Amino acid sequence: MASLELRNVVKRYKSQTVLDNLSLSVADGETLVLFGPSGAGKTVLLRLVAGVIDPDEGKIFIGGEDMTDLDAEFRGVGMAFQNFALFPHMTAFDNIATPLQAKRSSQSAMKAGVESVAKLLKIGHVLSHKPRALSNGQKQRTALARALVGSPPVLLLDDPLRNVDAKLRFEMRLELPRLLADRGATVVYVTQDYKEAMALGDRIAVMSQGVIKQLGTPEQIYREPANIEIARLFGDPTINLLDVKPSRDAKGIYVGLSNVQVHLTGAYDATVGRDCVIGLRPEALRFVDEGTSAAIPVTVEAETPLNEKIVTLVRTVRGREILVSRPAGTAGQTEGRAHIAVDGKSALLFDRANGDRIGSKNVVNLRSGEAA
Amino acid sequence: MSQSALTISGVDKFYGPIDRGVHAVQNLTMEIDKGEIVALLGSSGCGKTSTLRMIAGFEEVSRGSISVAGRKVHTLPPVKRNVAMAFEGYSLYPPLTVRENMAFALKAARLPKSQVDAKVASIAKLLEIEDILERYPSSISGGQQQRASLGRALIREADLHLLDEPMGQLEPQLRAVLRGRIKHFIKERGLTAILVTHDQTEANALADRIAVMEGGVLQQFDTPDMLKQRPANLFTGTFVGEPPMNVFEAYVGTAADKINLRLPDGLSLDYDKDAFSGSVRDELLKRQRVVIGVRPYAVRRSKDGVPATVSANQWLGDQTHIAADFAGGSLVLVEHDRTRLELGAPINISIDPKNLHVFDQASGMAISHGMELA
Amino acid sequence: MEHTSLLERILRGIALTLVVIFFMFPIVWILMMSFQTNETILRIPPQLVFKPTLANYTALITGKLTTAAGTLDIAFMRNLWNSVFLSVTSVAVALLLGVPAAYAFARHKFRGSEDIAFTLLSFRFAPALLVLLPLTLYFQKLGLANTYIGLIWVYQLICLPLILWIVRGYFEDIPADIEYAYRIAGHSWFATFRKIALPLAGPGIAAAGLLAFIFAWNNFIFALVLASADKQPVTVGALAFITSSGIQYGQISAAIVLSITPTLALALYAQRYLVEGLSLGAVKG
Repeated sequence: MASLELRNVVKRYKSQTVLDNLSLSVADGETLVLFGPSGAGKTVLLRLVAGVIDPDEGKIFIGGEDMTDLDAEFRGVGMAFQNFALFPHMTAFDNIATPLQAKRSSQSAMKAGVESVAKLLKIGHVLSHKPRALSNGQKQRTALARALVGSPPVLLLDDPLRNVDAKLRFEMRLELPRLLADRGATVVYVTQDYKEAMALGDRIAVMSQGVIKQLGTPEQIYREPANIEIARLFGDPTINLLDVKPSRDAKGIYVGLSNVQVHLTGAYDATVGRDCVIGLRPEALRFVDEGTSAAIPVTVEAETPLNEKIVTLVRTVRGREILVSRPAGTAGQTEGRAHIAVDGKSALLFDRANGDRIGSKNVVNLRSGEAA
Repeated sequence: MSQSALTISGVDKFYGPIDRGVHAVQNLTMEIDKGEIVALLGSSGCGKTSTLRMIAGFEEVSRGSISVAGRKVHTLPPVKRNVAMAFEGYSLYPPLTVRENMAFALKAARLPKSQVDAKVASIAKLLEIEDILERYPSSISGGQQQRASLGRALIREADLHLLDEPMGQLEPQLRAVLRGRIKHFIKERGLTAILVTHDQTEANALADRIAVMEGGVLQQFDTPDMLKQRPANLFTGTFVGEPPMNVFEAYVGTAADKINLRLPDGLSLDYDKDAFSGSVRDELLKRQRVVIGVRPYAVRRSKDGVPATVSANQWLGDQTHIAADFAGGSLVLVEHDRTRLELGAPINISIDPKNLHVFDQASGMAISHGMELA
Repeated sequence: MEHTSLLERILRGIALTLVVIFFMFPIVWILMMSFQTNETILRIPPQLVFKPTLANYTALITGKLTTAAGTLDIAFMRNLWNSVFLSVTSVAVALLLGVPAAYAFARHKFRGSEDIAFTLLSFRFAPALLVLLPLTLYFQKLGLANTYIGLIWVYQLICLPLILWIVRGYFEDIPADIEYAYRIAGHSWFATFRKIALPLAGPGIAAAGLLAFIFAWNNFIFALVLASADKQPVTVGALAFITSSGIQYGQISAAIVLSITPTLALALYAQRYLVEGLSLGAVKG
């Protein structure tokens, strides 16, 4: 119904630049997630699109139309706020009805519209309550209903699940995609939770200090993060990062991990002798028997279950800490000495000087070499 | 090893007059062994913090007794209980640097300076706060303050270490590794720790045993594994576990040599009679109406299973969470590999009887877990 | 820990009693005086038991004051009406001007907005006498002296800053997101002001209005200088009881009782709004 485009948008507050020459386009019907730490400029960007604040430079297009100078009420977007922003003096029904009211819908159309969206969000029974009588989850659903009710072509969701408890957040995360897909709206979704970002986004824009650092599908961001910072933001437990200095031997480029040579395949010729950081996702490591090729000896320090996984903190002979995770219920080492193997595919190599990932856009192949 | 570090027996807490005020903790009895890490887990208002504050001595015990290392302490002032505590609000002493904050109790105990310095250095390294030791609490972030507060508690030698929401503010990137280190630290020194948290991830990660509380009542006190495998009631079953357990109401019926668990929408889970032990079978047939529960990771997709429709498929990097419309409700599956399923795709699911939890429909008490009676 | 000793409770009781006596004594005393004749009031030592009389109130209401020197005409009821009229109109004007201004100051940080807001407040700091003299001269030139319009205008010095600053605070307490949400739903800024900002700041506006009313009612100096007898409010009118044949304490007391009754009633009524207004923070949750 409507694509969304920001062209060279700049926003400053006093001397601080919150959005720095930012360009972004979201395709019709796409869900784009803006992900980043607080202060990255995500919420400002959303408000610029909504039209409640104005950019200092640049243009904003919705459905190909220049909306930069148009007031918020004429842009036809729907928005849900992190703190819900419900009207405290109105009932849930009246809250949800406000967008229809603005369109001067008839009483019966209003009633039908509100009730259908309320049913969808399972809040039909609390429509006569005022916000203060609603639970957090109901408030959040009411806010979402208000954003959805007018079927706006563009939906802006500002961390809508931030202020609800874990269980509800999980439930809503699974419910949202269908809700959004049914509407066919173009969605911009702001979050600080990487799981939400990966679960909901067709694409994710990783923001930091007013700039988009990486834009890609969840798969690209997870498997080919642009730099160490982004690699650290995605994944729980966090990716293991170890300082290495790649060398070359007859079999190619390798890195030394605890006296074990691990060979890398990929375009790493230029990295020989350079200070690098290798990134190993905890789930890409596994416990192996002693004697397995390229098995790295470690001592198990502690085992900490995490959701449906077991996370083990191990220490290499050089004293480096590594996190290993495995599905709950599978065999592993719980204490004492053990061996781990690097399981290919998701190992990443970064330049230690600037933190950028080295290598092609393709998924890095990593093959374990022989023990030295 | 089984010397008791903490004994709580028959403790009640009333806010307001006894027997008439708010009954925040109800007849709580639990025993914690030396060297154990125990988590008090529950949502806000469940009584976990009141319990902790009674152990620490910040709150009077309305009824019952508390003993630490064999000494009755519930009438002693906090300072005489030999208990160390890390506070949720971090509560560092503002005029002291992080180093001075951490060294405070050691200095008060007249430890030689070299020893104090060595201890502070090792704990600071553990918690990654070496670079902020000379800073003041007001100039560091919430996560750093929390780590400093944790350090101040862990550095002390005490019969009991109480940790109130110790990691809620921590940077997510640090959490997993710090959890591992703190657990290792506590275990290595044989400390006894009680942590209060509303975050089950934290409780699961750190604790040997978890006390699940709700409405001032201890629901279950067991190891994380047992809580998952043998939840005592529907509350613990659905509260512990992330994603939460799938639950459905079912009617128990029999046909030929099968037991049918009839679900809404005309669906039915059919099991061989021998899939359950005789006593479980008797219990099921006696009740007719039950609530069945299955953990998301125990739901399998199989060709001859019961039909469901995919409503969400979310890949999180290391797990795939799938939601499906099933029997008039929603069912969640977790798979450890990346699963590609379109929205609206039909799937068939099956549940191994050994992964089936059955609860009484009226009381919510567990009837059976898999083959065995609860 | 929460239990207090008996001694503590007794001491607290005594302290409370002293405070209550200190604050209530003048009010009770005046009330008693208003039911006495001048003779009983001036008796030494004063007596707590007396025969109450309504003579003071009758005199005020009928406008005939009988003194030792004869009968005087007084315009107390006229003064009372003036007080009501001046206060109500001033507050109404101040609300009409002040509330939109407060909204503007709260929501739009334009260049110099803080300075303008502060300048308006600073009117309250200036001693009234300082501005009164030039004001009197201007008013005489403009023909505003001794008119209701002139007085209402001057009363804005009292009411407007008060309303502006209190109401601004209430508007600032409404999270901007709530207003943004209404705009994004498709409503104009004016509709947002009317349907969201005004109702949410309502308790605050009511409280500020009541406070301004009390200040306006209690004003003495502006009315004393700028108004003649037929425009004077009760505060000035009470001077008429200082007669050549002595001070009419009884009538003064009755006049005070009559003139503070409306403000007292309003203040008691306003308490509710003040409390409600202060708990507006709930909106943010």
